[in-house]
Amino acid sequence: MNEPKPVFEPQSNEELAWLGTDPIPASAYHDPAYYELEREAVFKRSWLPIGHVCELAEPGSFIRRDIEVVKASLLIARGKEGEVRAFHNVCPHRGTRLVPEVSGTQATFSCRYHAWTFGLDGGLISAPDFERFYVKKEQCGLKPVAVEVFAGLIFIHFGSPEQSVRDWLGDLAEPFEQLPIAKATQFVEYSYEIGANWKLTFDNFQENYHLRVVHPRTGGPGCAEPNPFAYPERYNFWGPHRSQTIWNNPNLPAPQGVQAIGNGRIVDAAGRAGLFGAELGMDFTCLFPNFTVFGPPARQFTQTVWPLGPNRSRGIVRFYWVGEEENASERFAREYVMASQRDIHCEDRDVIEAGQAGLASGAIDHINFQGQEVLCRHLFEAVDAMVAAWRSNNGG
Amino acid sequence: MHNWWRVGATVTADETSLPDGFEALERFVATWAIADLAERDAMRGSSTPDQRKAFYSVASGLLEPALDYLDGKPLTALSDPEQRLMNLMLSLAHVALAQEVQHEDEAHHAHFRSFLPFTPKA
Repeated sequence: MNEPKPVFEPQSNEELAWLGTDPIPASAYHDPAYYELEREAVFKRSWLPIGHVCELAEPGSFIRRDIEVVKASLLIARGKEGEVRAFHNVCPHRGTRLVPEVSGTQATFSCRYHAWTFGLDGGLISAPDFERFYVKKEQCGLKPVAVEVFAGLIFIHFGSPEQSVRDWLGDLAEPFEQLPIAKATQFVEYSYEIGANWKLTFDNFQENYHLRVVHPRTGGPGCAEPNPFAYPERYNFWGPHRSQTIWNNPNLPAPQGVQAIGNGRIVDAAGRAGLFGAELGMDFTCLFPNFTVFGPPARQFTQTVWPLGPNRSRGIVRFYWVGEEENASERFAREYVMASQRDIHCEDRDVIEAGQAGLASGAIDHINFQGQEVLCRHLFEAVDAMVAAWRSNNGG
Repeated sequence: MHNWWRVGATVTADETSLPDGFEALERFVATWAIADLAERDAMRGSSTPDQRKAFYSVASGLLEPALDYLDGKPLTALSDPEQRLMNLMLSLAHVALAQEVQHEDEAHHAHFRSFLPFTPKA
């Protein structure tokens, strides 16, 4: 009659101690000098996911992306043969920002200053009175930026990448490709600016320690015995990338009312679409430096956290969906999932900003991460290793 | 300006009609039958507790019948009354979070949400 009580043991500190246990210097989260080092060492030298191929539906489709941390604006366009290319959104004549639109579809791009006109391959097609210049048209194309499409995501790299995205992901590449985002055809997005260093913003999504404090109503029910902090089943590491595998608590109370219908019908829809079964389907996976994807197909979402300054960042959250909604139930369920997820997320902003205010005051020299905040430590260590390498290569 | 009692005089029965069996929701059409996700979310934030309570108390019991009814048709083939019913139920997704999860914290929570608005459709 009596079901055995579920037991839960989080990964022990001993298992996680290989990453170190020392306090982390707080200055890395607010010091302008460290931020400058991150710009050079990390954001100019890493693959960065800036969008999804579903945004480039046909030849001539383009998106503009402004990446403040490297002071760049990019033009990413699908060419006549379907290939995806990325360029600096800068006219090579006098440096004018070329494309003002955020997205669109067109065959050429004309500069609004002197009407230089470029094709989808970045080549200069025409320029008025060009005979008077001292260069050839072939020398006047848009400046390309390294770009790759992997698992549906568009990655760009501002330097000269030493590895393809696949090689950079290593053993994570194969399971990552199984995620439904690889097949997504549309997305809904929300975004926010926040007065916090990008790592502090990002770290909020890498630890569950805060859940029952900050989310008593939206997340509280998930924090139940025998796992009152909703710690994950395990942590996984692939080079600079990492994930936590969520533990399913069988003790959770069954949802009621509209919540039960919303949650139930999205699970039905994801099942019909065959989206379950991915190896990372219960993982919160983080790609270095600033991208996360929450794997459960019934509520998959991604977040990219972009630095805007030492004490400021922007989060862009997207719900990627595979195909149009099949029926009214699925449309309702998607809406419910998106609204409920944003309801949880919005509760974090205030405390993250409070954390930044405290750190920026210089009142504490160090941050102490506990064992179950190991993913935050791992991000810092990965960033700091790149910063140290860049420093030593540049006489620092 | 979505309040039905203010604009009711200019809304004709034709513009508020719903499929048979869902007449009880017609008085909510002017306020809650909203076509865009970002606007539905905004309406949750700007509505009064009484508006949410009144809508939820009638609509939540009709959610399953409404979805079962609408599931019988492709989404691209909904008539105007059916589309209004769909939009009402989509607004219910938002209002239910206030009524079932946030309760008396809803006003405070609306402040949190205001910093993370959904991106309107292009």
